[in-house]
Amino acid sequence: MKKELKFVVNGQTYDLWIEPKTVLVQVLRDELGLKGTKRSCDSGSCCACTVLLNGKAVKSCSILALQANGKEILTVEGLANGTQLHPIQEAFLDNWAFQCGFCTSGQMMAAKGLLDENPDPAREEIQLAMDGHLCRCTGYNMINEAIQDAAKRLQTQEEQGGAK
Amino acid sequence: MSQYDVIGTRAPRVDAPAKATGRAIFVDDMSMPGMLYGALLQSPYAHALIRGIDVSAALKLPGVKAVVTHKEAGLVKYGVSPARYDETIFCYDKVRQVGDNIAAVAAVDMATAVEAASLIKVDYEELPAVFTIEEALADGAPLVHDDYKRNISAEVHQEFGDVEAALKECDLIKTTSLKSKRQDCAFIEPQGCIATYDLSGNLTLYSSTQTTHYVQRSLAMALGAPVGKVRVVKPYVGGGFGSKASASHLEMAACLLAMQTGKPVKMIFDREQVFLHGRARHQFVHTMTTGVKKDGTIMALKHEAWLNGGAYSSFGIATVYYAGSLLGGPYKLPNMKYDGYRIATNLPACGAQRGHGGVIARSCWEQQLDMIAEELGMDPLELRLKNIMTAGDVTCNDLDMSSLGMKECIEVVRDASDWKNKKGKLPQGKGIGMACGFFVSGAGFPIYRSETFHCTVTIKVTEDGGTAIVSTASAEIGQGSDTTFAMIAAEGMGIPLGMVRIESGDTDFGVDLGAYSSRQTLMTGQATKQAAENVKMQVLDALSKELHVPVEDMDIKKGYIVFKKDKPDLSALKTRYIKEHREWTDNPSLDDELSFREASRIAFFTKGTIVGTGMYKPPELGGKFKGAAVGTSPAYGCSAQIAEVSVDEQTGRITIEKMTDAHDCGQAINRTSVEAQMHGSMAMGLGEALFEEVKFDDKGRLLNGDLAEYKMPTALDMPPMEALIVESHEPNGPYGAKEVGEGNIMPTIAAVLNAVHDAIGVRIHELPLNPERVYLAIKEYREKNAKQ
Amino acid sequence: MLLPKFEFHEPKTVDEACQMMAEYGASAMVLAGGTDLLVNMKKKLLSPQHLIAISRIEELKKVDSSPFGLKIGACLSVSDTASSDAIGKKWGALSAGAKALGSPQIRNLATIGGNLGTASSAADLPPSLMAYGARVVLKSSARERTLPLEEFFTGSKRTTLADDEMIYEIQIDEPAPYSGAGYESLGVRSCQDIKIVNVASFITLDGPGGIIKSARIVMGCVGPTHLRAHSAEKILVGEKPGEAIFARAGELAMQDATPRGAAFSRASAGYKKDMVGVLTVRTLGTAWKEATGERN
Repeated sequence: MKKELKFVVNGQTYDLWIEPKTVLVQVLRDELGLKGTKRSCDSGSCCACTVLLNGKAVKSCSILALQANGKEILTVEGLANGTQLHPIQEAFLDNWAFQCGFCTSGQMMAAKGLLDENPDPAREEIQLAMDGHLCRCTGYNMINEAIQDAAKRLQTQEEQGGAK
Repeated sequence: MSQYDVIGTRAPRVDAPAKATGRAIFVDDMSMPGMLYGALLQSPYAHALIRGIDVSAALKLPGVKAVVTHKEAGLVKYGVSPARYDETIFCYDKVRQVGDNIAAVAAVDMATAVEAASLIKVDYEELPAVFTIEEALADGAPLVHDDYKRNISAEVHQEFGDVEAALKECDLIKTTSLKSKRQDCAFIEPQGCIATYDLSGNLTLYSSTQTTHYVQRSLAMALGAPVGKVRVVKPYVGGGFGSKASASHLEMAACLLAMQTGKPVKMIFDREQVFLHGRARHQFVHTMTTGVKKDGTIMALKHEAWLNGGAYSSFGIATVYYAGSLLGGPYKLPNMKYDGYRIATNLPACGAQRGHGGVIARSCWEQQLDMIAEELGMDPLELRLKNIMTAGDVTCNDLDMSSLGMKECIEVVRDASDWKNKKGKLPQGKGIGMACGFFVSGAGFPIYRSETFHCTVTIKVTEDGGTAIVSTASAEIGQGSDTTFAMIAAEGMGIPLGMVRIESGDTDFGVDLGAYSSRQTLMTGQATKQAAENVKMQVLDALSKELHVPVEDMDIKKGYIVFKKDKPDLSALKTRYIKEHREWTDNPSLDDELSFREASRIAFFTKGTIVGTGMYKPPELGGKFKGAAVGTSPAYGCSAQIAEVSVDEQTGRITIEKMTDAHDCGQAINRTSVEAQMHGSMAMGLGEALFEEVKFDDKGRLLNGDLAEYKMPTALDMPPMEALIVESHEPNGPYGAKEVGEGNIMPTIAAVLNAVHDAIGVRIHELPLNPERVYLAIKEYREKNAKQ
Repeated sequence: MLLPKFEFHEPKTVDEACQMMAEYGASAMVLAGGTDLLVNMKKKLLSPQHLIAISRIEELKKVDSSPFGLKIGACLSVSDTASSDAIGKKWGALSAGAKALGSPQIRNLATIGGNLGTASSAADLPPSLMAYGARVVLKSSARERTLPLEEFFTGSKRTTLADDEMIYEIQIDEPAPYSGAGYESLGVRSCQDIKIVNVASFITLDGPGGIIKSARIVMGCVGPTHLRAHSAEKILVGEKPGEAIFARAGELAMQDATPRGAAFSRASAGYKKDMVGVLTVRTLGTAWKEATGERN
């Protein structure tokens, strides 16, 4: 029997009727067309499908969409402000924090979750926070650097915003 | 100051905006109107006769549109090497591995397709199976393929010089071995594809592949379609590393289903199917005997290798050749004997993976050289320097080191890591180790025998002259090749990178053998450079006629025409251009420079669309002996690496503290891209060194076919990596460039092995160095020492 | 991978949840974070007809501390367990276990009750909880019972939980003065790993610099469920803490361990046994430090 799913994705409210067995990534990709969130292992062990659920990083392949009922989801499509990239995106771009790009959306979402909680993480803290994300291309160093760079950019943005 | 404007910079990736916003379209992100979903039925047995296949129940399931087996697919044999075509689209007489393909279903949705596949009844008669090299070679062992006697799918016997005679002259002869485990490519994007078939007989496959060209040819052959009617398009690809370098059953099945139903069919591997498809690193067992003089001069190498190849040959013939030939350098080695055997077993087929064939051989030898240095009382780094080849040297097996910064790489990592103050001087439990390696910059020959160009590139300039579109069938799979070719094209035409747009990975764009054997930078790069220079000449030629200035007196730099002598009067030309641009917003300012855009617009008036073409095939390369084709290359990239480790001697856990890496990539086209490849190589090498192993039970079933139990490195496992670029000038490469993607993985494992020995005094001859293996090695070492 | 079909229920109160459990019995399973359950359902290892989602019941997410100890709701997330000051201050080994569990994404959803209910002998939370002598409160529509965590686990993936029961709460007593505990786990990789071995130790001294009054050592991955190292505990009691006696305890813990040596498991039985010894010594060291340290 279908159930109602009412939630907010990237600031937009959705009201859908879905089969309970639908996992969150299926709704995001197949119902809402948000293909930026990727499916890889599909069983909770690579973090490629990471999105933010009420600000916390979760793996959208192993959470029922109904578990997100009434909550707010942020996906990679919700990071940029129009054509203005989010500082995390800018930092990933400038630091070559991706090669194939398949794990990137998940990595950036986890980075957002981390930096929202801890605006100035040390290398070790970044490694711990990003530990579940598998990347076969980069060896992770450039991702770490991108997140450190993003932290700086966000601080600068904050200071400039505060000065206004 | 660099002589180049674009090359050698750190330009951002051309695909970066798409990837940073999640807008890069991978095949699983695509869908088409009326699209069906396909599912495979795969064998649960490692070795069994097929007595019968009953698809009736599957066909009756509502929503099922087609079921195909060998009856529909036919029995055309295909594979990678024409000498070993040993696969059919579907099994018909027997299955040879768990995951062997029996049938495929197309249905209105994925759940129906999966359910229908499970309704197909196969009558199997289980056969005894072989999983290890020993089992496969045993007397009376069942044969995986009837025509591979003793289950030997390929063997190599080569000798260069006279090894036995040379060994007699040696002061020290050392024999050691190294056994590795099967590694998986473990790219993050599983293989997937969408096939479409129209009523004119055009078959188009969108696929997550590294080699559109080979997939196109394999499809045409196995499905009996004309090559010209088959188009293979590669969207963004989430990593390949070798496993995506040949046609898969998934691609074959999707095409067959599309042809049967007339509708688009999408098929995606789940992660377990990625492991079952395999085609990644073989398991290798190497035994090597090296003879040296007292002063460290290497005299001879006798080498035997055994590869567990799995159920099909795939790239395996090349693998077993590479395992021998890539020891010809980078040290002066006058005598080398190699006996290699690739054994067929009832496990998923192995194929090519980053550092194809050479990685474990290299690891075995580089550990042995360290042991030899120790016995001679030499610094292992000095031993290597003593024997090092330099540019112009040719190996005993005819590999021509047309450029080789190997010596510089060693010196650079030695200094950057403070080797001299660390080697042998670190406290117990901490260690430092080094190793070297090299790899081809593209295979000298295509996989099938042909006089074909290895790549063709066209560059088309838009009518306004504002954009140059580079079209190449080469495969951007994450390694950055699109960025590399855009940069080469920009440099070649003399225009800013921002004026170049690249489209790639489509067989309609020409021939390109694809992303394997580290060939694209050099080969596709040469073709791109030629096409770019061709465009430049055409523009200058048109300009020459307009301005009456000889072509050779002009050039294009940074998007502007350079007049080497007197600048001609440009006013007439400028006026003409401005008239043309009356309503356009991108009218250039009235300065006294002539831009590429203006010049190209003028050229368009006389020549129509400016199209430059380029092509490349390697020159005649050395070696007339059997198997000489594997290992010859227009150029070789090389690396030296230093690993620093600490070992928890109570648990056996190794922590990599730091990696220092130098790679000679010739001229770096994009410096960050080179460093990124170096990082990625090291990560993959460290995974193979420390954790990774695909495991099977005693029925040949996967034990760890997921990314939780298959342990690849995570962020926490990776140390800081220092990537140092050593630039030589490669005469055969575009602007002097050569490979970085694979040569750089060659030293990693041995550097770790040698560092672990430096840390705890223990030599380990089996991979991976997981905590238990290291712990047991320490225990055994201590027990042995206690007895003495 | 697709999930099998099921009916989804979302009770608002514990009582309502219990009623549903009573109604659906063995055909129902409780869904808390779902990090384990949903993956096992995807792999078709489990196929409950009803899922009863309890993660919205606020009562189940509490951390009540009193002078007597802690009461933790079954649905407290592992990340909240790891970051809770109340837990970290006096039950550091539990925080350590929570921090060692999976990746941040898993910790954000996984719950303390779920980690117990799964009853995996490789789980990260049971060793510390058992070492602290924690109890679980189980509820059904008919009754409520409290039992030591040790008695809750009955075997690999098996607990005393009846078909109509759910885990309601975990209770831990305030550690006695001069107590300390430590938790350590060993995986192939640095993190995000299913453990090869894990151990928690808890000791209470009879005073500063005094002898060991009581000890509890709990070992994971070396038996069908988490095991107490009884003989190691016994030898510690009445002794002054120190390296020698810890080493002896480690040896005895190895004897108390009964790992299975399946040919294809993550590590051999012999290695697991040896590592129990190493981790016992290390966790006792941590416990000793805490027992004599600034915390008391």
